[in-house]
Amino acid sequence: MSSTSIWLMIIGVSLVSLLPRILPVVLFSRYEFPELLKRWLSFVAPAVLGALTALSVLAPEGDIDISIYNKYFWAFIPTLLVAIKTKSLFYSLLVGIVIMALLHNFV
Amino acid sequence: MQKQELKQGIKDSIPIILGYLPLGFAFGVLANEVGMSIIQATMMSVLCFTGAGQYIAIGVMQAGGALFTIILANVLVNLRYLLFSTSLVPYLKGQVPTAIGSLLSYGLTDETYAVAINRYQGHAPTASYMAGLNLSAHIGWITSTLLGAILGSYIGNTDSLGLDFALPAMYICLLVFMTKHTSDVIVALSSAFFCLLIGYLVPAAMGNMFNIIIATIIAASLGVLIHEQH
Repeated sequence: MSSTSIWLMIIGVSLVSLLPRILPVVLFSRYEFPELLKRWLSFVAPAVLGALTALSVLAPEGDIDISIYNKYFWAFIPTLLVAIKTKSLFYSLLVGIVIMALLHNFV
Repeated sequence: MQKQELKQGIKDSIPIILGYLPLGFAFGVLANEVGMSIIQATMMSVLCFTGAGQYIAIGVMQAGGALFTIILANVLVNLRYLLFSTSLVPYLKGQVPTAIGSLLSYGLTDETYAVAINRYQGHAPTASYMAGLNLSAHIGWITSTLLGAILGSYIGNTDSLGLDFALPAMYICLLVFMTKHTSDVIVALSSAFFCLLIGYLVPAAMGNMFNIIIATIIAASLGVLIHEQH
Protein backbone atom coordinates (compact mmCIF):
# COMPACT_ATOMS: atom_id res chain seq x y z
CA MET A 1 0.00 0.00 0.00
CA SER A 2 1.36 3.44 -0.93
CA SER A 3 1.93 6.07 1.71
CA THR A 4 -1.07 8.08 0.43
CA SER A 5 -3.31 5.01 0.64
CA ILE A 6 -2.12 4.35 4.19
CA TRP A 7 -3.05 7.89 5.22
CA LEU A 8 -6.45 7.56 3.50
CA MET A 9 -6.94 4.25 5.31
CA ILE A 10 -6.09 5.83 8.66
CA ILE A 11 -8.55 8.70 8.10
CA GLY A 12 -11.28 6.31 6.95
CA VAL A 13 -10.83 4.00 9.93
CA SER A 14 -10.75 7.03 12.21
CA LEU A 15 -14.16 8.21 10.93
CA VAL A 16 -15.90 4.86 11.19
CA SER A 17 -14.45 4.11 14.61
CA LEU A 18 -15.19 7.50 16.17
CA LEU A 19 -18.69 8.17 14.82
CA PRO A 20 -20.40 5.24 16.61
CA ARG A 21 -18.89 6.38 19.92
CA ILE A 22 -19.67 10.08 19.58
CA LEU A 23 -22.99 10.17 17.70
CA PRO A 24 -25.20 8.59 20.40
CA VAL A 25 -24.08 11.20 22.93
CA VAL A 26 -24.60 14.03 20.41
CA LEU A 27 -27.99 12.81 19.21
CA PHE A 28 -29.65 11.25 22.24
CA SER A 29 -28.56 13.49 25.13
CA ARG A 30 -31.55 15.82 24.73
CA TYR A 31 -34.12 13.02 24.91
CA GLU A 32 -35.46 11.26 27.97
CA PHE A 33 -35.44 7.53 27.19
CA PRO A 34 -38.62 5.59 28.08
CA GLU A 35 -38.38 3.49 31.27
CA LEU A 36 -38.31 0.17 29.43
CA LEU A 37 -35.43 1.24 27.18
CA LYS A 38 -33.49 2.54 30.19
CA ARG A 39 -33.88 -0.82 31.90
CA TRP A 40 -32.76 -2.61 28.74
CA LEU A 41 -29.72 -0.34 28.51
CA SER A 42 -28.91 -1.02 32.18
CA PHE A 43 -28.38 -4.68 31.24
CA VAL A 44 -25.95 -3.80 28.45
CA ALA A 45 -23.00 -3.52 30.86
CA PRO A 46 -23.31 -6.98 32.50
CA ALA A 47 -24.00 -8.47 29.06
CA VAL A 48 -20.95 -6.82 27.48
CA LEU A 49 -18.70 -7.84 30.37
CA GLY A 50 -20.02 -11.41 30.27
CA ALA A 51 -19.24 -11.58 26.55
CA LEU A 52 -15.82 -9.93 26.86
CA THR A 53 -14.81 -12.20 29.75
CA ALA A 54 -15.96 -15.32 27.89
CA LEU A 55 -14.07 -14.31 24.75
CA SER A 56 -10.88 -13.24 26.51
CA VAL A 57 -10.75 -16.47 28.55
CA LEU A 58 -12.19 -19.09 26.20
CA ALA A 59 -11.03 -17.60 22.89
CA PRO A 60 -7.83 -15.79 23.88
CA GLU A 61 -6.21 -16.03 20.45
CA GLY A 62 -9.40 -15.37 18.50
CA ASP A 63 -10.46 -19.02 18.11
CA ILE A 64 -12.56 -20.84 20.70
CA ASP A 65 -10.30 -22.99 22.86
CA ILE A 66 -12.18 -25.05 25.43
CA SER A 67 -9.50 -27.51 26.58
CA ILE A 68 -7.32 -28.19 29.61
CA TYR A 69 -4.39 -26.70 27.67
CA ASN A 70 -5.98 -23.25 27.68
CA LYS A 71 -3.84 -21.32 30.18
CA TYR A 72 -6.28 -18.42 30.27
CA PHE A 73 -8.92 -20.72 31.73
CA TRP A 74 -6.59 -21.81 34.55
CA ALA A 75 -5.74 -18.20 35.35
CA PHE A 76 -9.45 -17.31 35.20
CA ILE A 77 -10.47 -19.46 38.19
CA PRO A 78 -8.16 -17.99 40.86
CA THR A 79 -8.68 -14.47 39.47
CA LEU A 80 -12.46 -14.85 39.74
CA LEU A 81 -12.17 -16.15 43.32
CA VAL A 82 -9.92 -13.26 44.32
CA ALA A 83 -12.27 -10.76 42.62
CA ILE A 84 -15.28 -12.15 44.52
CA LYS A 85 -13.40 -12.38 47.82
CA THR A 86 -11.50 -9.05 47.80
CA LYS A 87 -13.69 -6.90 45.47
CA SER A 88 -10.39 -5.28 44.53
CA LEU A 89 -9.32 -4.59 40.97
CA PHE A 90 -5.72 -4.28 42.12
CA TYR A 91 -5.53 -7.72 43.76
CA SER A 92 -7.46 -9.36 40.92
CA LEU A 93 -5.03 -7.95 38.38
CA LEU A 94 -2.00 -8.82 40.49
CA VAL A 95 -3.08 -12.44 40.99
CA GLY A 96 -4.14 -12.83 37.36
CA ILE A 97 -0.90 -11.45 35.93
CA VAL A 98 1.37 -13.37 38.33
CA ILE A 99 -0.43 -16.67 37.68
CA MET A 100 -0.32 -16.08 33.94
CA ALA A 101 3.42 -15.32 34.11
CA LEU A 102 3.95 -18.57 36.08
CA LEU A 103 1.89 -20.54 33.56
CA HIS A 104 3.85 -19.08 30.63
CA ASN A 105 7.22 -19.78 32.22
CA PHE A 106 6.75 -23.08 34.03
CA VAL A 107 3.99 -25.00 32.27
CA MET B 1 -12.10 21.10 36.38
CA GLN B 2 -12.39 18.99 39.53
CA LYS B 3 -8.94 17.85 40.49
CA GLN B 4 -10.05 14.95 42.65
CA GLU B 5 -12.23 13.53 39.87
CA LEU B 6 -9.47 13.93 37.30
CA LYS B 7 -7.06 12.10 39.62
CA GLN B 8 -9.56 9.30 40.20
CA GLY B 9 -10.00 8.92 36.44
CA ILE B 10 -6.26 8.70 35.90
CA LYS B 11 -5.95 6.20 38.75
CA ASP B 12 -8.74 4.05 37.31
CA SER B 13 -7.00 4.01 33.94
CA ILE B 14 -3.84 2.33 35.28
CA PRO B 15 -5.07 -1.28 34.95
CA ILE B 16 -6.25 -0.44 31.42
CA ILE B 17 -2.88 1.00 30.46
CA LEU B 18 -1.18 -2.11 31.85
CA GLY B 19 -3.28 -4.20 29.52
CA TYR B 20 -2.77 -1.87 26.55
CA LEU B 21 1.03 -1.93 26.84
CA PRO B 22 1.61 -5.32 25.19
CA LEU B 23 -1.28 -4.80 22.73
CA GLY B 24 -0.23 -1.33 21.61
CA PHE B 25 3.38 -2.40 21.51
CA ALA B 26 2.55 -5.39 19.31
CA PHE B 27 0.49 -3.15 17.03
CA GLY B 28 3.48 -0.83 16.62
CA VAL B 29 5.74 -3.74 15.75
CA LEU B 30 3.30 -5.26 13.23
CA ALA B 31 2.43 -1.92 11.65
CA ASN B 32 6.11 -1.38 11.03
CA GLU B 33 6.41 -4.82 9.47
CA VAL B 34 3.61 -4.20 6.95
CA GLY B 35 5.23 -0.98 5.80
CA MET B 36 3.75 1.74 7.96
CA SER B 37 6.16 4.40 9.14
CA ILE B 38 6.60 5.15 12.84
CA ILE B 39 4.56 8.33 12.35
CA GLN B 40 1.78 6.51 10.52
CA ALA B 41 1.56 3.74 13.13
CA THR B 42 1.47 6.26 15.96
CA MET B 43 -1.02 8.54 14.18
CA MET B 44 -3.29 5.57 13.59
CA SER B 45 -3.40 5.02 17.35
CA VAL B 46 -4.03 8.75 17.88
CA LEU B 47 -6.85 9.01 15.32
CA CYS B 48 -8.48 5.59 15.57
CA PHE B 49 -8.00 4.11 19.07
CA THR B 50 -9.61 0.83 18.06
CA GLY B 51 -7.42 -2.13 18.98
CA ALA B 52 -9.36 -4.78 17.08
CA GLY B 53 -9.89 -2.45 14.11
CA GLN B 54 -6.21 -1.57 13.88
CA TYR B 55 -5.18 -5.23 14.02
CA ILE B 56 -7.67 -5.98 11.24
CA ALA B 57 -6.14 -3.19 9.15
CA ILE B 58 -2.70 -4.79 9.57
CA GLY B 59 -4.09 -8.22 8.67
CA VAL B 60 -5.76 -6.97 5.50
CA MET B 61 -2.67 -4.98 4.47
CA GLN B 62 -0.51 -8.05 5.00
CA ALA B 63 -2.82 -10.08 2.78
CA GLY B 64 -2.66 -7.36 0.13
CA GLY B 65 -6.33 -6.48 0.61
CA ALA B 66 -8.08 -3.28 -0.40
CA LEU B 67 -8.54 -0.07 1.53
CA PHE B 68 -12.30 -0.51 1.19
CA THR B 69 -12.11 -3.91 2.92
CA ILE B 70 -10.31 -2.38 5.89
CA ILE B 71 -12.89 0.39 6.26
CA LEU B 72 -15.86 -1.95 5.90
CA ALA B 73 -14.43 -4.38 8.46
CA ASN B 74 -13.93 -1.43 10.80
CA VAL B 75 -17.54 -0.32 10.37
CA LEU B 76 -18.60 -3.77 11.61
CA VAL B 77 -16.03 -3.97 14.42
CA ASN B 78 -16.90 -0.56 15.78
CA LEU B 79 -20.69 -0.83 15.58
CA ARG B 80 -20.78 -2.18 19.14
CA TYR B 81 -19.78 1.26 20.38
CA LEU B 82 -23.20 2.56 19.26
CA LEU B 83 -24.64 0.29 21.93
CA PHE B 84 -22.03 1.12 24.59
CA SER B 85 -22.26 4.85 23.99
CA THR B 86 -26.08 4.84 24.00
CA SER B 87 -26.10 2.99 27.32
CA LEU B 88 -23.91 5.73 28.83
CA VAL B 89 -26.26 8.53 27.72
CA PRO B 90 -28.72 8.21 30.68
CA TYR B 91 -25.75 8.55 33.08
CA LEU B 92 -24.15 11.52 31.35
CA LYS B 93 -27.45 13.41 30.93
CA GLY B 94 -27.52 16.49 33.17
CA GLN B 95 -24.04 15.71 34.57
CA VAL B 96 -21.67 16.28 31.67
CA PRO B 97 -22.32 18.99 29.02
CA THR B 98 -23.24 17.30 25.73
CA ALA B 99 -20.42 18.92 23.74
CA ILE B 100 -17.75 17.82 26.22
CA GLY B 101 -19.31 14.40 26.72
CA SER B 102 -19.34 13.85 22.95
CA LEU B 103 -15.73 14.90 22.54
CA LEU B 104 -14.55 12.73 25.42
CA SER B 105 -16.49 9.76 24.02
CA TYR B 106 -13.68 9.64 21.47
CA GLY B 107 -11.88 7.65 24.17
CA LEU B 108 -14.67 5.08 24.62
CA THR B 109 -13.31 1.54 24.33
CA ASP B 110 -14.38 -1.84 25.74
CA GLU B 111 -12.12 -1.17 28.71
CA THR B 112 -12.89 2.49 29.47
CA TYR B 113 -16.60 1.65 29.06
CA ALA B 114 -16.41 -1.18 31.59
CA VAL B 115 -14.50 0.93 34.13
CA ALA B 116 -16.68 4.04 33.65
CA ILE B 117 -20.05 2.32 33.90
CA ASN B 118 -18.87 0.57 37.05
CA ARG B 119 -17.86 3.92 38.54
CA TYR B 120 -21.19 5.52 37.58
CA GLN B 121 -23.14 2.97 39.64
CA GLY B 122 -22.05 4.82 42.77
CA HIS B 123 -20.75 8.21 41.55
CA ALA B 124 -22.25 10.74 39.17
CA PRO B 125 -20.12 11.15 36.03
CA THR B 126 -18.07 14.31 35.65
CA ALA B 127 -16.21 15.70 32.66
CA SER B 128 -13.02 15.61 34.74
CA TYR B 129 -13.37 11.91 35.53
CA MET B 130 -14.12 11.09 31.88
CA ALA B 131 -11.11 13.14 30.79
CA GLY B 132 -8.80 11.48 33.33
CA LEU B 133 -9.90 7.99 32.40
CA ASN B 134 -10.31 8.24 28.62
CA LEU B 135 -7.37 10.52 27.86
CA SER B 136 -4.90 8.55 30.03
CA ALA B 137 -5.99 5.27 28.46
CA HIS B 138 -5.60 6.85 25.01
CA ILE B 139 -2.17 8.24 25.84
CA GLY B 140 -1.17 4.78 27.09
CA TRP B 141 -2.31 3.28 23.79
CA ILE B 142 -0.44 5.90 21.73
CA THR B 143 2.76 5.61 23.80
CA SER B 144 2.87 1.82 23.63
CA THR B 145 2.32 1.97 19.85
CA LEU B 146 5.15 4.44 19.47
CA LEU B 147 7.45 2.25 21.60
CA GLY B 148 6.53 -0.82 19.58
CA ALA B 149 7.14 0.95 16.27
CA ILE B 150 10.54 2.18 17.44
CA LEU B 151 11.83 -0.74 19.50
CA GLY B 152 9.98 -3.57 17.79
CA SER B 153 12.97 -5.20 16.23
CA TYR B 154 15.00 -5.20 19.45
CA ILE B 155 12.59 -6.77 21.90
CA GLY B 156 11.34 -10.32 21.70
CA ASN B 157 8.27 -11.96 23.18
CA THR B 158 6.66 -10.10 26.09
CA ASP B 159 4.16 -12.89 26.84
CA SER B 160 6.24 -14.34 29.66
CA LEU B 161 5.46 -11.26 31.79
CA GLY B 162 1.83 -12.32 32.12
CA LEU B 163 0.61 -8.92 30.95
CA ASP B 164 -1.53 -10.66 28.36
CA PHE B 165 -3.84 -11.48 31.26
CA ALA B 166 -4.21 -7.86 32.44
CA LEU B 167 -7.32 -7.13 30.38
CA PRO B 168 -9.02 -10.51 31.01
CA ALA B 169 -8.37 -10.04 34.76
CA MET B 170 -9.90 -6.59 34.56
CA TYR B 171 -12.99 -7.88 32.74
CA ILE B 172 -13.39 -10.65 35.35
CA CYS B 173 -13.20 -8.22 38.25
CA LEU B 174 -15.53 -5.64 36.67
CA LEU B 175 -17.94 -8.44 35.84
CA VAL B 176 -18.02 -9.33 39.55
CA PHE B 177 -18.64 -5.64 40.38
CA MET B 178 -21.42 -5.27 37.81
CA THR B 179 -23.41 -8.38 38.77
CA LYS B 180 -25.13 -7.44 42.02
CA HIS B 181 -28.51 -9.06 41.35
CA THR B 182 -29.39 -12.54 40.18
CA SER B 183 -30.81 -11.02 37.00
CA ASP B 184 -27.38 -9.49 36.20
CA VAL B 185 -25.70 -12.87 36.66
CA ILE B 186 -28.20 -14.54 34.34
CA VAL B 187 -27.69 -11.76 31.77
CA ALA B 188 -23.88 -12.06 31.95
CA LEU B 189 -23.90 -15.86 31.71
CA SER B 190 -26.37 -15.95 28.82
CA SER B 191 -24.41 -13.25 26.99
CA ALA B 192 -21.21 -15.29 27.46
CA PHE B 193 -22.99 -18.38 26.17
CA PHE B 194 -24.54 -16.73 23.10
CA CYS B 195 -21.33 -14.89 22.29
CA LEU B 196 -19.39 -18.18 22.15
CA LEU B 197 -22.20 -20.06 20.42
CA ILE B 198 -22.48 -17.43 17.66
CA GLY B 199 -18.71 -17.33 17.35
CA TYR B 200 -18.68 -21.13 17.01
CA LEU B 201 -21.47 -21.27 14.43
CA VAL B 202 -20.30 -18.22 12.44
CA PRO B 203 -16.51 -17.91 12.80
CA ALA B 204 -16.51 -14.63 10.84
CA ALA B 205 -18.50 -13.07 13.72
CA MET B 206 -15.49 -13.61 16.01
CA GLY B 207 -13.34 -11.47 13.74
CA ASN B 208 -15.74 -8.56 13.39
CA MET B 209 -17.08 -8.89 16.96
CA PHE B 210 -20.67 -9.05 15.80
CA ASN B 211 -21.14 -11.90 18.27
CA ILE B 212 -20.70 -9.39 21.11
CA ILE B 213 -23.43 -7.15 19.68
CA ILE B 214 -25.94 -9.95 19.08
CA ALA B 215 -25.22 -11.67 22.41
CA THR B 216 -25.63 -8.34 24.23
CA ILE B 217 -28.96 -7.63 22.51
CA ILE B 218 -30.31 -11.11 23.35
CA ALA B 219 -29.03 -11.08 26.95
CA ALA B 220 -30.21 -7.52 27.75
CA SER B 221 -33.67 -8.39 26.38
CA LEU B 222 -33.66 -11.49 28.56
CA GLY B 223 -32.77 -9.28 31.52
CA VAL B 224 -35.81 -7.06 30.85
CA LEU B 225 -38.05 -10.15 30.61
CA ILE B 226 -36.74 -11.50 33.92
CA HIS B 227 -37.24 -8.10 35.52
CA GLU B 228 -40.86 -7.95 34.28
CA GLN B 229 -41.59 -11.36 35.82
CA HIS B 230 -40.76 -10.13 39.31
